[in-house]
Amino acid sequence: MDAIVVDRLSCRYQAAGRQILKDISFKVAPGEIVALIGLSGCGKSTLCLCLGGIIPHYLGGELTGQVLVNGKDTREYRVAQLALEVGLVFQDPDTQLFAPTVEDEIAFAPENLCLPAEEVGTRVNKVLDTLGISDLRKTNPNHLSGGQKHLVAMGAVLALEPSILALDEVMAQLDPAGKKTINKILVDLRRQGKTILMVEHDPETVSIADRVLVLEEGRLIKDGRAVTVLGEWESMLRC
Amino acid sequence: MAYIELENVSFCYPGQSRPVLREINLSILNKGVTAITGANGSGKTTLSKLLTGILLPTKGRIKLNGQLLTSLTLTQIGRQIGYVFQNPDKQLFCETVEEEIAFGVRNLGLPPDQAAQKVREVMDYFELTRHAQAYPLSLSAGEKRRLALAAVFALEPGLLLLDEPTTGLDPYRKKLLGDYLDKMLAAGRGVVLISHDQKFINRYATRLMGLQDGQFIEE
Ligand SMILES: Nc1ncnc2c1ncn2[C@@H]1O[C@H](COP(=O)(O)OP(=O)(O)O)[C@@H](O)[C@H]1O
Ligand SMILES: Nc1ncnc2c1ncn2[C@@H]1O[C@H](COP(=O)(O)OP(=O)(O)O)[C@@H](O)[C@H]1O
Ligand SMILES: [Mg+2]
Ligand SMILES: [Mg+2]
Repeated sequence: MDAIVVDRLSCRYQAAGRQILKDISFKVAPGEIVALIGLSGCGKSTLCLCLGGIIPHYLGGELTGQVLVNGKDTREYRVAQLALEVGLVFQDPDTQLFAPTVEDEIAFAPENLCLPAEEVGTRVNKVLDTLGISDLRKTNPNHLSGGQKHLVAMGAVLALEPSILALDEVMAQLDPAGKKTINKILVDLRRQGKTILMVEHDPETVSIADRVLVLEEGRLIKDGRAVTVLGEWESMLRC
Repeated sequence: MAYIELENVSFCYPGQSRPVLREINLSILNKGVTAITGANGSGKTTLSKLLTGILLPTKGRIKLNGQLLTSLTLTQIGRQIGYVFQNPDKQLFCETVEEEIAFGVRNLGLPPDQAAQKVREVMDYFELTRHAQAYPLSLSAGEKRRLALAAVFALEPGLLLLDEPTTGLDPYRKKLLGDYLDKMLAAGRGVVLISHDQKFINRYATRLMGLQDGQFIEE
């Protein structure tokens, strides 16, 4: 079964508003890393919100076509159920962080799944350790720097151990060490057969992807091997 | 004379034992691009808030054009240092994109037609014209970033202080930003650039400062 199926997806934020995504179709197989690129405003974050069911469940708007994650139609499942399939790290981590400490933030979702306390503790430790943020354990997420917040948001998602990850420009605010950590995590996750969709701009970051999708004004204009597509896109941008 | 002068500046967040910045001495001129790098959490954003008077040093003092920062209002500081936040959400507050840019321009004391012209120019340059009537907080992250930059650039302050300005920008919009910085430099203004974007720094920085363990190492 494909991890992600997007079939003739179109959407807008208000019923009368501008069409943001226009008739998009693609599939992602388990174990693939797919990068999603395109000029800002072309609809990358909107597509991530569709994968997690945030659109249409929370933000409303109008969605036509179909989005399936691990075979589940996002329209028919609640956002909390979809979160077990797709871990979504938002572009703005502030929209995602709310607990009083980093540790609580990461424990929140596994606790909500009613996992045994011991298992929750193990997951929290593992995630803090993998991300190299154990020393931030007791810190209030509001007091963190921008890059640290992205790592915590990433941790909260990893603790749920979803089989699909959708990462919306998480690398942008990370220092070189943070980028390397995330890169390593992504490669490890791929080895475990997990599926990753990452939105990024930096060709270097994108280069670990197996495949690259290019959005332009809400349309999917390219879908191909990373090396080929990145080369074409860069020359298209003349920079 | 230095545009900004830090003398023995230390800063510690209330209730914390470890200071973020320790005894910093630094002069910043209003020419060239001073790039500030440092690991996540090293204190770059904290420093930018000190430079703009949003936070006050725990020790030491900061002067802006020879005047103590503590003797100036945030508005007076804002006229001399154009600060673009790391998170643009925190600085957008108007009902429309156009109004967001016009808000500050109105206080420049320009004749109305010149003010309107200026708003149109930056809006055009940052490719925001098609969103002129949109609500700023419903823009995409990259559009918000461009709006925050446009609103500050329109005021033509002597020094720009940009906290990770390339986040959320695609390569083409990064180049637009860079070209604008070049124009500012040519017009005799300075830029302080806080960033992890190595490529962007390599291309534009004229001075490179690294923040580590609360202190600067010039590179
Ligand atoms: N909540 C919203 N309401 C209305 N329009 C929105 C909203 N969020 C985003 N948009 C618009 O949808 C378009 C696509 O945004 P987005 O998916 O965030 O772009 P990207 O992530 O590719 O930069 C943008 O033009 C943006 O202005
Ligand atoms: N409001 C706050 N209260 C307490 N600590 C804070 C606050 N804001 C930032 N910090 C801490 O200060 C340090 C420096 O943060 P910051 O200046 O944002 O770093 P940078 O911008 O270099 O990533 C970090 O360890 C962060 O956790
Ligand atoms: Mg986005
Ligand atoms: Mg910062």
